[in-house]
Amino acid sequence: MSDSTPAKAASSAARQSSVFKLTFRLPIIIWQSLFFIGPLCFMVAMSFFIVRNYRMQEDFVMKNWLKMLGRDYFWDSYFLTWGLAGIGTVVTMLVAFPAAYTLAFKVSETVRRWAIFMLIIPFFTSYLVRIFSWYVILAESGVINAGLSYLGLGPFVMLNTKFGTVVGYMTLTLPLVIILQTFALANIDKSLVEAAFNLGCRPFRTIYRVILPMARTGLIIAAVFCFILSFGDFVSPYYLGGSKPPTLPILIVDTVKSGQQWPRAAVVAVVMMVTLFVVAFAGIMAAYRRRVG
Amino acid sequence: MVAPLVEFRSVVKRFDDFVAVERVNFTIEAGEFVAIMGPSGCGKTTTLRMLAGLEAPSEGEVLMEGRVMNDVPAHERDTPLVWQSLALFPFLNARENVEFGLQMRGVEAAERRRRALEWLDRMEIAEFAERDIASLSGGQKQRVALARSLVIEPRILLLDEPLSALDANLVIRMQSVLTKLQRELGITFVYVTHSQSEAFAMADRVVIMSRGHIAQIGSPKDIYRAPANRFVAEFVGRNNIITGTVSKATAKAVTIDGSLGSFTVDLGQHEKPQKGDTARFVVAADLAQISTAKPRRGSAIACSLISEEFIGSVVTLFLEAEDGSELKVQLQERELSKMDLKSAATIYLSWASDQAHYIGAD
Amino acid sequence: MSDNRPLRWFLYGYLALVFTFVFAPILFSVIFSFNSDRFPTIPLGSFTLKWYQTVWNDPDVWEAARTSLTVSLSTATIATLLGFATAYTDYRYSFRLKPIYLGLVLLPPTIPLIIMALAMLAWFAKLGISGQVMSIIIAHSVLTAPFAMAIIRLRLSQMDPSLESAAWNLGASQWSALRRVIVPFCRPAIISSFCLTAAVSFDEFAISWFVAGLNKTIPVIILEIVTGNIDPQVNAIGSFVFLVSMTLVIIAQVVLMTRRKKEV
Repeated sequence: MSDSTPAKAASSAARQSSVFKLTFRLPIIIWQSLFFIGPLCFMVAMSFFIVRNYRMQEDFVMKNWLKMLGRDYFWDSYFLTWGLAGIGTVVTMLVAFPAAYTLAFKVSETVRRWAIFMLIIPFFTSYLVRIFSWYVILAESGVINAGLSYLGLGPFVMLNTKFGTVVGYMTLTLPLVIILQTFALANIDKSLVEAAFNLGCRPFRTIYRVILPMARTGLIIAAVFCFILSFGDFVSPYYLGGSKPPTLPILIVDTVKSGQQWPRAAVVAVVMMVTLFVVAFAGIMAAYRRRVG
Repeated sequence: MVAPLVEFRSVVKRFDDFVAVERVNFTIEAGEFVAIMGPSGCGKTTTLRMLAGLEAPSEGEVLMEGRVMNDVPAHERDTPLVWQSLALFPFLNARENVEFGLQMRGVEAAERRRRALEWLDRMEIAEFAERDIASLSGGQKQRVALARSLVIEPRILLLDEPLSALDANLVIRMQSVLTKLQRELGITFVYVTHSQSEAFAMADRVVIMSRGHIAQIGSPKDIYRAPANRFVAEFVGRNNIITGTVSKATAKAVTIDGSLGSFTVDLGQHEKPQKGDTARFVVAADLAQISTAKPRRGSAIACSLISEEFIGSVVTLFLEAEDGSELKVQLQERELSKMDLKSAATIYLSWASDQAHYIGAD
Repeated sequence: MSDNRPLRWFLYGYLALVFTFVFAPILFSVIFSFNSDRFPTIPLGSFTLKWYQTVWNDPDVWEAARTSLTVSLSTATIATLLGFATAYTDYRYSFRLKPIYLGLVLLPPTIPLIIMALAMLAWFAKLGISGQVMSIIIAHSVLTAPFAMAIIRLRLSQMDPSLESAAWNLGASQWSALRRVIVPFCRPAIISSFCLTAAVSFDEFAISWFVAGLNKTIPVIILEIVTGNIDPQVNAIGSFVFLVSMTLVIIAQVVLMTRRKKEV
């Protein structure tokens, strides 16, 4: 539909209809500028502010940046966060794939719809409570180790390990990743998959040569979302991963909650945003890149 | 002099770079049933939408009863439209749908209800008044849509391919409902369609559009018997269009030489063409004749039979001339049965000289 | 597709396992909330309601519940209004800067919450409105408006595009067409959007924790209890939150589904 209203009327009617138009267009622009773009820009600016006598002053100094980027513990955190989120993403994608494959190809439409509805439920349960639940389940005297002890196994240390963190990440990301993967796979033209089988392509080869390339865009988007969510999560590495050494989000929490060093927290946040922006951009490029060969 | 009910004066409608309607001029008189017909994308629906105020003309003027309507917003016009999709409100029942226009005009509830029920009754669907739209059949929905438009007692009703979703039997039924309704109400119907059978069956006058232009305006018979140009002749179908160059031209007749032979055709109202010009004429399939022997007088083209198509008692024969061009002829099945075409090596297609219709160069 | 029975059953079993992983923490949290042991393990202790009683008798929890309710209902209202206006704009108009416009609307959920939390905290302090219930509401509306927009936009795309024109054609001004046609058509989506944004807001903890000051919401209370020590009160509160959220989600889902069925 064109931008003009259906009846481009005399000036009074035209004015009326532009009032109408702006009533719907402007609120979100104002709101998001004020409360979304505003805060983010201010945060970037804040990373150049200075703290004197426990009070933040508006300024433009590189001190926070030099201080944060010049320290080993910052880079330890940075690479730890990368590593954890990376492992989390790979594991989640791999664990989710057979489930999504089953939902996309091996069950009826109704079952698929119900399964996806079920997978939406966790988004509306408290993530904190679920993590707390894992804490109790994974503990040294927790449900799993108690169960294993009947078999004469264990106890295994699962809390305060990278394993714990990844379980936490998966609590957050697995349902979403399965949903996105299922959509990606379900959109594939089934007759092509059948054709591949018909031509004698073996199942695993079919997955590798036919299904994965066709679902690539959707799968990469799922991975990008998974990475962003894991990278920004402070709850899992804190409660299940033991928080030492801290990940970047934990660094932000600690910096903010233990004093007035907001500008340094802002440095961490900006670094995180730039990192995620690059990852998302790379992901999108990879997702929509033309296939070569 | 009374101004016509509707007048389009050099109306142009552009969408970005695309010109949907280009310098269209025509008038519609009160009480007429006008069909605007053409292939998809010819600008017919845009023309209708401009009349309803749903699109604004880029240039030119749309007038109603002498008043320029360009600046009158859609909701201040009494130009109800019956939509191709019907556009019934799914969250209202049949009666509430019909009441909608009255409600917008501030008619109070009891009166609204009375008039809505009256119209539903008139459309013979009173018993479905309180039904959900989704539970009605195609034909019933059609009637609700008509009632919804007519209940506001307009002087003009616009219809945008309203029958395109119905099956063939229902289309014929609704056609007679529409023509009867138009005659009883005495109001103007403007009916947009791509189907010539619908247009010719119902309309007093037909406007044929092509690529934003008006190709011809006339009664169905005019258009059928005297297509103004090649586009109309082809669009109407059932025409043999014969092309050649002018070898001789007088004020009244022209001789056209082509790969099928040399033919002399009356010019009719057309201007005299120059010698050497390209020219065409039309022989309607149902006015052509065939014979197994070459006729002694008049024009004839030697052909062979390719196929035949029976529709009821009418047969269309598809013929191929010696130069490879396809020709067709339509005749009654019982006429055909008198002839022995199977054994004839050559079939001659001929026509009485006053049945060939000159259409100029394009 | 080639029918490979063992493979099929293996995949079903795998799917069941994955679902177990997803639902185990939810299930256990409900079970633990009725379990007498402070540190629950198997075998389970005895059935008890004491955690619920503790929570019930805690004025802080009541206060937080009130705050949470205020926040989520206000958020849902603002986000749904904004989402509707935006969805309608996207549905009806096209303009040159539309991609930027849509980016502005849809981007917030892609920014990690912890970053939004820090940015909001600083920005509200700068504006002098930090530590208020209003701050949480504003922040949550930014976060949830995209969901509202998506739900309502989806509904609008199911609408016969001539429906609104039909209303104008029958004499409705733009405003009354909106009120009499667009809003009634979108009603199920508006209700779902209200429920879903309320549920998201009701569960959000990072931003609330940062900007709330002394006005704690339920998730913030949970966060603080969890940080303290092992306390099964969390399970009791969690089960309550789960109940509220699920009620909202199910209402949203049912409203959407019944509408769809009716229109088929």
